[in-house]
Amino acid sequence: MAGQLTASLPAAGAAAPARAAEGQSVPWLLLAPATLALVVMFVLPIGYVLLLSITDPALSIAHYKRIFSVPLYTRVLFNTFTTSLTVTVACLLLGYPVAYVMTRRSDWVSTVLLMCVAVCFWTGFIVRTYAWLVILGNKGPVIGIHQALGLGPPPRLLFTTFSSTLGMVHILLPYMILALYSVMKKIDPNLLRAAASLGARPNASFREVFLPLSLPGVVNGGILVFTICLGFFITPILLGTPKDMMISQLINQQIEELLAWGFASAVAVVLLVATSVVLAVYNRFFGLDRLWG
Amino acid sequence: MARSRSTIFDRRRLLKTGGAALAGATLGPLLVTERTVAQTRTIYVNTWGGSWTAAEEAAFFKPFTDATGIRVRTVAPVSYAKLKAQVQSGSYEWDITAINQAEWLRAEREGLVEPIDWTVVQKDKLFPDAVFANGISYCALGTNLAYRKDKFPNGGPQSWADFWDVKKFPGTRSLYNNAPRSAIFALLADGVPRDKIYPLDLDRAFKKLDQIKPHIKVWWTQGNQSQQLIRDGEIDMMAMWNARASELAAQGLPVELVWNGATVGITMWGVAKGAPNRKLAWEFIQFAVQPKPQAEFCNRLYYGPTNPKAYEFVKPEIAKQMPTFPDNAKVTVPTNVEWEATNVAKLQERFTQWLAS
Repeated sequence: MAGQLTASLPAAGAAAPARAAEGQSVPWLLLAPATLALVVMFVLPIGYVLLLSITDPALSIAHYKRIFSVPLYTRVLFNTFTTSLTVTVACLLLGYPVAYVMTRRSDWVSTVLLMCVAVCFWTGFIVRTYAWLVILGNKGPVIGIHQALGLGPPPRLLFTTFSSTLGMVHILLPYMILALYSVMKKIDPNLLRAAASLGARPNASFREVFLPLSLPGVVNGGILVFTICLGFFITPILLGTPKDMMISQLINQQIEELLAWGFASAVAVVLLVATSVVLAVYNRFFGLDRLWG
Repeated sequence: MARSRSTIFDRRRLLKTGGAALAGATLGPLLVTERTVAQTRTIYVNTWGGSWTAAEEAAFFKPFTDATGIRVRTVAPVSYAKLKAQVQSGSYEWDITAINQAEWLRAEREGLVEPIDWTVVQKDKLFPDAVFANGISYCALGTNLAYRKDKFPNGGPQSWADFWDVKKFPGTRSLYNNAPRSAIFALLADGVPRDKIYPLDLDRAFKKLDQIKPHIKVWWTQGNQSQQLIRDGEIDMMAMWNARASELAAQGLPVELVWNGATVGITMWGVAKGAPNRKLAWEFIQFAVQPKPQAEFCNRLYYGPTNPKAYEFVKPEIAKQMPTFPDNAKVTVPTNVEWEATNVAKLQERFTQWLAS
């Protein structure tokens, strides 16, 4: 944190004095607002959380020791990452075809799909979570159809890992679709026509041309959904079982119910570090620079 | 000389007021300062929203404003963490909050609580046991066994031992995701008499909880979630806040409330340490704990009045549904606040780990 702070200071200070060096200092000056925003909105708060985690209530690393000695925290952390990965993969599998159709069709189908995604996006996630309680509930349509068909005792849908995952996928799917769509829309349709004219069958032109060009969207949407999902906890609480508990539920509990801000900060730091490690590994294999196409 | 002094003074004042105006313009909607208080006489109350705030509006806020001219603004929902955040940062969104006694005691131990201003609050206007840890007792909240009568035509569970008896009382079950409450219910089910519950024998409690765990379909966390579960027929019997169950019964749902073995906790009125409107806040709290306002609140939301004289104004058919009603108080377990405030962090961790495994 300190390194970044001091790094930004000369940038801001160097601009004023030397008129001769104006050519060099102007780009730095232009960077100053962004640097300031980053420092104020991200570096300082995260630094404060880091500080709290080793100073509240007293200067020690006891919080970190507790996180790694009580099995609860590592277990829930692990579950948080596997759940987020599952949700991300499910969103990708469901979202890719939708985004593809939205891109390739230019008639009313595309508009209707975009409207559906947008309406979903604008509806509060608590509302959508409660909607699943009704849809999958004892008096809901799924169990109703199951019973009407006489398929025996109703399956247990609600309050399972399945319903919890389903709820999260539903909430995060619009993010994935919009991330994919924004990239796919920029792919020049002439490239596909060119592929066809050179004898590629639709499958081949999709595999060789469209899919590689759409990968930035996959990377982008994947990271977006994965990181948002890491912070989820209300949906698993309402739709899942205690075994589906996410780490932010524990952070929230420590802050809201126990006023243990130091410990909550330590858990948050561990989550942040673990996320960074995952993204670093991801970058090593897939390259985050694909984000920018 | 005098002239120059006054111009300097004026210039300073100009700078001051200008600065204050600028600060007020940018931060105004967010911050309550001593300055704005003196002008408007408004207090800010942290509240739950929904039917809770509606009942408070009718029972406390409107009558108080009518009587004193002091306006009441509400901020929802109740946030225990915000009490700490406000006191640490020195910027206040509200003056008054209402949280349970154990939380209040922990807040007091952390120095987040404004001492009672005895120049405002008059001791002879309070009732016995009204004051605790610099808070004043507001109402009593029960966590009861509740069940759907239509699912048990031959009589439903009448105790936590019955709740644990899955053979005699088959049906879907739900418990409150709250460590002390769940441990107490387990100990009662295991035959511990209600006056010997504290200090909680946790090993015994968790052993008993192990038996019921596979049969608990949901561990609920939010009041309206618990209502939805029983309303939709998802759950046949559960631990539930008494007024939440009474509310469903009043809507015509076949929900029965069992007082035997219910836990009862007291909610406290209190003022955040250093809150800008503290004097007015104590005036409000003293007003709100008088018999009539307490009764008005409890007539709307069936949490029990803590001021015994309030029962003079509570409708008899409602009085029977209150945690502090004498017949009910005989069979319930009052919270041992000292024990809970001291042990809740460790207990909650053990409980959460037990739930997740």
